[in-house]
Amino acid sequence: MNANVQQRVFKIISEIINREESEIRLDASLQKDLQASSLDQMTIFIALEDEFERTIPQDEVTDLRTVKDIVDFIHKKIQEPSPT
Amino acid sequence: MSRRVVITGAGVVSPIGTGVVEFWRQCLQAKSVVTPVPEQWLNYADLRSRLWSPLHYDPESLGITRAERLQLDPVAVLAIGAAREAIQRAGFTLVPAGERSRAFSLPEVDSSRVGVYFGTGIGGAHSFLQNHVQHLYQRTHEALKVYSEERAPAVDRERLNGILALLAHLPRYHPFVVSMLMPNAASAAVGIKFSLTGPNVTYCVACASGTVAVGHGYRAVREGRVDLAVAGGSEYLYDEHGHIFRGFDVAGTLVRDYASAESANRPFDEKRSGFLFSQGGAGVLVIEELEHAKRRGAAIMAELIGYAETFDAHSMMSLAPGGEQIERMIRAAITDANLLPRDVDYINAHGTGTKNNDQTEVEVIDRVFGKSVRVNSTKSLLGHTIGASGAIEALVTALSLRDGTTHICKNLDTPILDLNFVRSIERFDPRIGLSQSFAFGGHNAAIVLRRFD
Repeated sequence: MNANVQQRVFKIISEIINREESEIRLDASLQKDLQASSLDQMTIFIALEDEFERTIPQDEVTDLRTVKDIVDFIHKKIQEPSPT
Repeated sequence: MSRRVVITGAGVVSPIGTGVVEFWRQCLQAKSVVTPVPEQWLNYADLRSRLWSPLHYDPESLGITRAERLQLDPVAVLAIGAAREAIQRAGFTLVPAGERSRAFSLPEVDSSRVGVYFGTGIGGAHSFLQNHVQHLYQRTHEALKVYSEERAPAVDRERLNGILALLAHLPRYHPFVVSMLMPNAASAAVGIKFSLTGPNVTYCVACASGTVAVGHGYRAVREGRVDLAVAGGSEYLYDEHGHIFRGFDVAGTLVRDYASAESANRPFDEKRSGFLFSQGGAGVLVIEELEHAKRRGAAIMAELIGYAETFDAHSMMSLAPGGEQIERMIRAAITDANLLPRDVDYINAHGTGTKNNDQTEVEVIDRVFGKSVRVNSTKSLLGHTIGASGAIEALVTALSLRDGTTHICKNLDTPILDLNFVRSIERFDPRIGLSQSFAFGGHNAAIVLRRFD
């Protein structure tokens, strides 16, 4: 796993939900453990789109539950060619 | 119930400076920022006016979090930034509203007795337009790109690439677009950010929005409906394609036929040609009942003592010739303050720089006040910030009364009428000031302020 991707995802999640990065664990559930609201979750994906310069359609992320799901998803996403 | 009402805090974001201290310093140096409009706008239309006053602001230094920046239109970001400064200048402590909350509470005040009164001319039009373009162009852009890359003859590709560049759009259709574009988003954002649960209303009255919001906040405090009003205006007029600018340009309202960029914006001058389009800004006042302010030892900038509004019922885009309703509005505001016209020392005019506005305005000022009252136009420095302008000009009026000086009416070489325009920085002894705004649609509003001794 790309540590840099994980670090950037953690930073975004911590900023959007206003928690310390140290509070975020890979196995944490966005909703149950981190108490991210649906608006928070949408905002996280907008921030990830900006950070990684990829389009993230909502239907691709509806099944992502944990921080690790997101990190894995981003990891795959950045293998796709960057939109010009 | 009628109570005395004072201004205890102010905040501002403007093309010439952010923060009251910096803004006022720049005003007194007659600072303005006038540059060519963004080059890409000219790809979409032949604009007659080519100048504007750009706004540089840093969301982070305005206390805006990453989440807020992603969820809010700039009009709300500017509103929060100016409100935050105003609330802090009024002496309130901002305490986090809860664990992990991005909001603040104000422990020294009963938040249910604090109202938010906010004006904006076009609300989140920026977000509406950016997302509208995305909605229209995304599939067309994709299809054309595929055609260009896979099927178009090589000879056509360069032209197609030029067309694709014109169809550039945001990468996403924003999931928060509705809450970004709605005109009440700025006042709602301020209420949410500072946990203020009193009345929260938006005044959409074009160029008079800021003055109307301040006036209604003042009335609410005076009549005892609230103890404190966070009142002001916010506007953001930029979009990638110059759509908003073009609307004012085709209406023939903007500066043109200028000798130089620096001299183009010239309210009340014979050579005026229209108003200078500003990218935007925000001004916010904390308006407070006098005894409430005294009890907490707040510093008082000025007293608000009168307000009135009238409507022309004449034209969507032109002042009624003669300015009968403007005169009635001014006289009503002065009567509301229990004063006579001769008591007024200083007028912060609407002063846009359009032929029609300035001519009507000087005639009315001459009729009501004669040549004794000092007159300037803050728009001669900032350009026109539309819904923010009235609130920013109320702030300038308060600062002028407090400091016994005011800024010049810039680029005024040959006045259209021999009024007492401020043409050099000097000390004077103003006790009473009046700030007025007129709007597309026909709305007129004025507030009257008194120096607080």
